[in-house]
Amino acid sequence: MQISKAVITAAGHGQRRLPLQRFVDLDGVEKTALEIIIEEVLSAGVEQICLVVRPGDQAAYAEAAGTFARMLVFVEQPEPRGYGDALYRAAGFVGNEAFIHLVSDHLYISHASQRCAQQLVETAKAERSPVSAVQATRESMLPYYGTIGGRRRAGRTDLYEIDHVVEKPTPTEAEQSLLVPGLRAGHYLCLFGMHVLTPTIFELLDPPAHADASGPVMLSPALAALARRENYLALELNGSRYNIGIKYGILMAQLALALSGADREDILDRLVEMLASRRSAV
Amino acid sequence: MTNALVEVITSKAPEIRNRSLDSFCQNAAAADLQAACDELDRFRRTSENLYEHVRALFFLSTIYRYHLPPKLGPDAYGLIPYRGYQHLLERRFDEAIDEFLAARAGSGLTDTIASALAAAYHDLGFQTLANQVRRSVRSVRGNQWMFRVGHPTDHPLRVRPELLARRTPRDLFPALWERTPVRMDLSHSAWSDIFFLGMDFPEGARVLNVSVDLGVRGRDPHPQPPIEVFLRVVSQPVLRLVSVDLKATADVRSLAEVFDFAKDYLGLLKAGVIAAGIVPPGLEGSEESLENVLARVVGPGLGLEIVTKVNDIPKGSRLAVSTNLLAAIITVLMRATGQVKSLSGTLSESERRIVAARAILGEWLGGSGGGWQDSGGIWPAVKLIQGRLAAEEDPEWGISRGRLLPDHHLYAREEVSPAARQLLCESYVLVHGGMAQNVGPILEMVTEKYLLRSEPEWDARQKAIHLLDTIDQMLRAANIRELAAATTENFFGPIQTIIPWATNHYTETLISAVRERFGPSFWGFLMLGGMSGGGMGFAFEPSVRPAAEAYLEELMRAAKRNLERSLPFAMEPVVYDFAINDRGTSASLLSAGEVFLPPGYYALVAPQWLELGVRRLPPDRQAEVARFVSETRPEGRLAGSSHVLFSGLFPVTAHEDRDGEALERLLAENGFDRELHEQIRSDLRAGRIGLAQNRLPASTVIEDVAPQDVLHAVSEVSRGMARLGERALRQGEVAVVTLAAGAGSRWTQGAGVVKALHPFHRFAGQYRDFLEVHLAKSRRTSRLYECDLPHVVTTGYLTHEPIARALAEKNNYGYEGPVLLSRGRSVGLRMIPMPRDLRFAWEEMPQQILDEQAQKVRDSLRAALIGWAEAAGGGSDYIDNLPLQCLHPVGHWFEVPNLLRNGALARLLEQRPQLNYLMLHNIDTLGADLDPGLLGLHISHGACMSFEVISRRIDDRGGGLGRVNGQVRLIEGLAMPRETDEFKLTFYNSLTTWIDIEQLLKAFDLAREDLASEEKVTAAVRRVGARMPTYITLKDVKRRWGHGQEDLFPVAQFEKLWGDMTSLPGLPCQFIVVPRLRGQQLKEQAQLDGWLRDGSASYVDSRCLWT
Repeated sequence: MQISKAVITAAGHGQRRLPLQRFVDLDGVEKTALEIIIEEVLSAGVEQICLVVRPGDQAAYAEAAGTFARMLVFVEQPEPRGYGDALYRAAGFVGNEAFIHLVSDHLYISHASQRCAQQLVETAKAERSPVSAVQATRESMLPYYGTIGGRRRAGRTDLYEIDHVVEKPTPTEAEQSLLVPGLRAGHYLCLFGMHVLTPTIFELLDPPAHADASGPVMLSPALAALARRENYLALELNGSRYNIGIKYGILMAQLALALSGADREDILDRLVEMLASRRSAV
Repeated sequence: MTNALVEVITSKAPEIRNRSLDSFCQNAAAADLQAACDELDRFRRTSENLYEHVRALFFLSTIYRYHLPPKLGPDAYGLIPYRGYQHLLERRFDEAIDEFLAARAGSGLTDTIASALAAAYHDLGFQTLANQVRRSVRSVRGNQWMFRVGHPTDHPLRVRPELLARRTPRDLFPALWERTPVRMDLSHSAWSDIFFLGMDFPEGARVLNVSVDLGVRGRDPHPQPPIEVFLRVVSQPVLRLVSVDLKATADVRSLAEVFDFAKDYLGLLKAGVIAAGIVPPGLEGSEESLENVLARVVGPGLGLEIVTKVNDIPKGSRLAVSTNLLAAIITVLMRATGQVKSLSGTLSESERRIVAARAILGEWLGGSGGGWQDSGGIWPAVKLIQGRLAAEEDPEWGISRGRLLPDHHLYAREEVSPAARQLLCESYVLVHGGMAQNVGPILEMVTEKYLLRSEPEWDARQKAIHLLDTIDQMLRAANIRELAAATTENFFGPIQTIIPWATNHYTETLISAVRERFGPSFWGFLMLGGMSGGGMGFAFEPSVRPAAEAYLEELMRAAKRNLERSLPFAMEPVVYDFAINDRGTSASLLSAGEVFLPPGYYALVAPQWLELGVRRLPPDRQAEVARFVSETRPEGRLAGSSHVLFSGLFPVTAHEDRDGEALERLLAENGFDRELHEQIRSDLRAGRIGLAQNRLPASTVIEDVAPQDVLHAVSEVSRGMARLGERALRQGEVAVVTLAAGAGSRWTQGAGVVKALHPFHRFAGQYRDFLEVHLAKSRRTSRLYECDLPHVVTTGYLTHEPIARALAEKNNYGYEGPVLLSRGRSVGLRMIPMPRDLRFAWEEMPQQILDEQAQKVRDSLRAALIGWAEAAGGGSDYIDNLPLQCLHPVGHWFEVPNLLRNGALARLLEQRPQLNYLMLHNIDTLGADLDPGLLGLHISHGACMSFEVISRRIDDRGGGLGRVNGQVRLIEGLAMPRETDEFKLTFYNSLTTWIDIEQLLKAFDLAREDLASEEKVTAAVRRVGARMPTYITLKDVKRRWGHGQEDLFPVAQFEKLWGDMTSLPGLPCQFIVVPRLRGQQLKEQAQLDGWLRDGSASYVDSRCLWT
């Protein structure tokens, strides 16, 4: 399995400005979120990147991509018809190859020597299967994520065979159909926003088939169908993801980058100082 | 044999596993049985298998309760260690058992200790079973997470956006409208759906369950799903709960209130909110705010409104209205939060299953719980529900044989044709007979009998299983006639073999009358639910069904009129119209414009709007007011409901005036002493009298009697004494006095019916009431000793008219001798209890702690009742009930003086100058009869009074025989200075008293000739009465309202008690220890099964002559 293409979706409602947000990256250099994400996929050996955007957003993203702009292929999603529809727009770009897909409102920090995307791509290549990155997540966060059900691959502690995928399940449903042996009570494997997929996904998304449906085209039902159709795996990554689209998401992502990177000592000093002065003010 | 019992429990072979305990115990010696108990006790301590453990406990309980006592000698009595009793109260059953076993090891096994061990093993058995069901409920997948949520920020549920959609803040939110049928059990499964049975014997747990719509005949135009629940978002951070039927509404603002089930009538709605996960059980006691929970689930500043309505279907219909209402509340809330995918329409099978699991959880939270078929209304139409063996993936695997949740097989139209379904509806008449019932004890009895595998009951269960197959086949064959024949056979066969108390005189009267009236067109009877008398079905040939409906309605009303003073009725009987519901529970999403709540809702909330002022209401509430006003216009939907609305705005009081007049009349007619009443009120309020003041001073020395203080009926009655007694009987020197003036509060939990006239048991093929039993004993005595034995029945304000009427109608039950009524001359007016007395009774006295959740509910109820007493004013007259329920009898001490005052004794002596002795006994002491030996013992010792006592068992609470500061006397439990004192006393008072008339009169300072002088008698009674202590007691009284609803209120009243006569100095009293069979009292209906099983019923039968 060769994986040389990446698809990044950036057309979601309320999501369009997030990739333009500037952060100080692990190396202490100021970058946009989009640049950080592009570096993430490049680390996994990707050569071509497709960015799915809303009409009119291309120029801003090209600027935010900085030196990477020349590598980007822009595809527009004309109507906001859901996450699945956005991904589907990249079908032509992907062609017949496997590809890595990331969302643009998440940043990832690896706790291993390899970056998150790299871990995922290597697993997909080794297993010759589509793989989604997952993270064990407390049930109180279920309203925010797609969640998988499945079982551990024999002999592995981080790899799972997926049986079922449900978008934002209730804990009632999760307990009935998404329990994964080996996880702590009240924890589920929630999608990480990073997948290696095959073109099969486009057959399963097939937005034209949903043309009459009033609701948005979602990715999770297609992933659930994928699990029924072929061997589909989940990898519990050695890393963390930060959703920059939620309250304090940008702050937490920046803190995580700073505390994991070159400026760690400096930031820690400043935080301690801030905490101390806050206490004295009280 | 020792190993044989363990083998019965542990064997995998059904023929050994299903052997009965009785067959092992019948011929065993006491020593062998004790050895068997030791072995069983060792086994149950080590067994890790739940059901083996529990079965051993029930074996032990039964051996100690039924098999060992008859094999112990007459002197095998003793004391109960108080520490053991305390452990029992606190539900530390293992510790209690250890204490009792240590007592057994110390002084040998006594009847007393055997009773204590039986109780402890019994309660431990049920606690173990209940804990297991609770664990299973919690471990059902889909329920577990709710116990982990301990903080609002952990809350994972969100209300679906469809319910939050509105254009402006002035608009109302959309609403979900859930409509749910109830369930009819077509088979009666011999209670096989009780959780304990279903989880141990899933193969035998099967029911045929039909979802039905209901209407009340003559009231509703056509049957409809009786349960409706409306749910919508409101713009206040509250849980607004409204029960239209119970006329109750509350804005719940704190988590503590959500878990306070008995605070108001909204406990079921709260249980639904919790079981649906809106306020998960894990949040109980978290001190977090409900507002934060609602902000997380619904949105900041928002709340939820839940409105329920069961179309005034009366309580006790045996159609599981409550459980299905709970399930409907849970369903609508699970829809709203996406736990059930279908926002509207019907549910999928997996959704119904999770709702059913949640309903079981909700019932447990509310401290109740029936069987697993009860939520059948959420499934459509006709289904076979059957238990399932636990598989490896089930949480029950390795713990119980069966799963908590059964499987539901929905009959396809090819299996049960539309014609069969139609014929079923056209044949059956469903009714509510109107009787108030408490099926709780019956469910316990069924469980116990199942675990014991007593042969008749086990055979009956097999037969019931076979009959279900027949019912199933007949339904498939559309042969309703044979189906009804099978349900009838089930009722008169297996059901009554397992639980004789499932039937009653009322039910049998109805069945006989219907059978006589309709002959072969009456196809059969169907008992719905735990026992008959409430919900019932009668099947008829369709052509006569309309006539049968009318006939049954009239018949039930007439039978109720005839029996309502002897049997507890909660309401007027009703006939239902019904139809099979093919959808199960189903919901619609109503847009804001479509939302229109039942008229009863507006009658409840409109007064609140007025009180608060419309302008101060939030904008969406103002929109509701505008809608309401518009709908009250002539063309509006509330145009025809003005009476409902106005009755809410201006509560009617006319009937209260009528009741007030009736109460005053009753008081005047029954010798109410207003002056005394005011004195008692004043003393009560000032704290001079009260529960704490009933006690003798703390310095009082209470000791057990010495051997020489009592006589023994078994060993001390000589032949000469028996001859002496026989001679007195033959010479007409004796009369019987049956005390029947009391209210028998414990018998029907304060229902205000006449216990003496309750046809409680079938003797010689017929239902007999207490009075008839006593007269039958007098008949036997009369015939044996060829005497014309006079039988006096004392009566009071509650019992006189009904007893007089019954005696007249039944010609004294055929008793040939004279029957005299001695009418009471005193009555009291009940009072609101003093809050301090309620606290004393509930907080300072030792209490039987209940199962965890039931205890929470009881604590909540008690807090509410103390609040009621504080608000209503302790010591105020209790008048908020039917007039008869506001009065109280003033204690059985007065019943003997009444014999003097009302001239009954004088007339008797005039007619029978030879009369020298009275045997006085309580209405519920069924074994007491004119035993010539005891009479001779009494005569030969020359005592004024001989009191019969029995050796104590653990249930015998409320006093006993002791030495009080050195004086041998009876002492009431109320008067014990310390709780521990009662446990020093070996003997318990049966109240049966042999009286020497001359000496009694002397004690009153009277002679026979003085009886003609009312003045002298009155003065004498006052003199002695003044020396008798007056006790303040709390009694439960039922208040009935609405459609079959009943509330229990504790009320204060005063009493003087007969046993205190033994405290009079110088009055020669003696005390005779009699066998338990003679002295056993029947205080509660829950005792009946034990009374039948331990041989008491046969003993009573042997003392009676029925014709």
